[in-house]
Amino acid sequence: MSRIYASHKQLVCPGQVLAIDLPGNTNCYREGREIIAAVKGQVRVQGKSLKLVPLAGPYIPKVGDVVIGVVIDLFNGRWLLDINSPYYCTMMGEEVSKNPLHEDLKSYFDIGDILSMRIAKVNEVNEPIGVKPWKLEGGCIINVNPRRVPRIVGKKKSMLNLLKEKTGSKIVVGQNGRIWVKGGRMEITIDAIKTIERFAPTSGLTDRIAKLLDAHLRGEK
Amino acid sequence: MSTKEIPKLIDDKGIRIDGRKKDELRPISMEVGVLARADGSAYIEWGDNKVLAAVYGPRQLHPKFMQDPTKAILHFIYNMAPFSVDERKRPGPDRRSVEIGKVCAEALSNVVLLEKYPNTVIDVFVEILQADAGTRCVGLTAASLALADAGIPMKDLVAACAAGKIDGEIVLDLKKEEDNYGECDLPLAILPRKKEVVLLQMDGSLTKEEFQEAFDLALKGCLEIYEKQKQALLKSMEVSEDS
Repeated sequence: MSRIYASHKQLVCPGQVLAIDLPGNTNCYREGREIIAAVKGQVRVQGKSLKLVPLAGPYIPKVGDVVIGVVIDLFNGRWLLDINSPYYCTMMGEEVSKNPLHEDLKSYFDIGDILSMRIAKVNEVNEPIGVKPWKLEGGCIINVNPRRVPRIVGKKKSMLNLLKEKTGSKIVVGQNGRIWVKGGRMEITIDAIKTIERFAPTSGLTDRIAKLLDAHLRGEK
Repeated sequence: MSTKEIPKLIDDKGIRIDGRKKDELRPISMEVGVLARADGSAYIEWGDNKVLAAVYGPRQLHPKFMQDPTKAILHFIYNMAPFSVDERKRPGPDRRSVEIGKVCAEALSNVVLLEKYPNTVIDVFVEILQADAGTRCVGLTAASLALADAGIPMKDLVAACAAGKIDGEIVLDLKKEEDNYGECDLPLAILPRKKEVVLLQMDGSLTKEEFQEAFDLALKGCLEIYEKQKQALLKSMEVSEDS
């Protein structure tokens, strides 16, 4: 018989027993029948299932993620990018040219350029390959805790659409905790994103941010 | 006999030189997330010990030939500040700090789920700002808090505490004078949930019965430390309204 010991929205430490006889879970580990938290985080209980949302931790590349990377090196026919993760991302020259070995890759992306791209492949030691690069020019990059990015995007992108609508900024959210903001009321956007990051574990965040944005916009008129 | 030079460490009523009972810990305060630029950090004041721990990583390990494609490697650097002890300590690594770093790294490697991060290194730095006996226990306790703060998956927190023998009696959590003039020191680190031992050292000598008594006492101390660790960690997770 399965049983859940933790309550909804409870904050837990590593080593705390959350439940018995439930299927395995990310951020948890199994020992016999027990499901034990492996990281500090917040428990979400939905009916008979349980999820542990971590509050901190490194970004590990996952297929399908959009990430923002900085070019750190050029090789024959490929680039190496830093994606705010323990693992560097490789991007092939074929993404931009038909015969990258006979062309100067610097003319496309040079060291220090900032790109957004999608992770197409991750191998067994977590090394990713990026595709579909898009050079980000101007604007600024905000670094946030990668584990709190889901709150910045919101359910069905609700939070992101709210931010874009109210401030008129262009925003690209990288799952790796880098957010590119350009145009519109940038200082307000940045303040809002920082607020979301800080209050990520609390509920009713979209309403709170809507109020904050309104107050900012009114105060400056 | 030189017994007259040694101060009396424990009086007739069983009270020690700093006014503690035999099974009493020194006052402890813990704080998590004290360093802005580290991935995880913790600061502990344990009696007159002041210890800062910082965790960086997982990150790429260089030189590359040292990487392990099956798991991450945990480096534990224990360093005493030159001003941490009475007589100035020569800065830099020495035999003692390298050894403490090695045993603590082995203790933590049993707890951290290293296989999740192949080819990387997790750097743990423990800086002893003020020392007053039992620094490896404080360092290990702080390091496990810092690892939890960094969000690195681990089986359990590590709680450490020492017991020892002074004036022929088994006591908990030795202080500097007791460590210097006492007969034995027994640092112990455990995983509190299953009470598994990850570090156990002994400096001095004990009989079998005394060892059992000291071990049980240190275990009790560790569990007390564990409660404080949990409190400190939960406090760091709470979101405060004021900015």
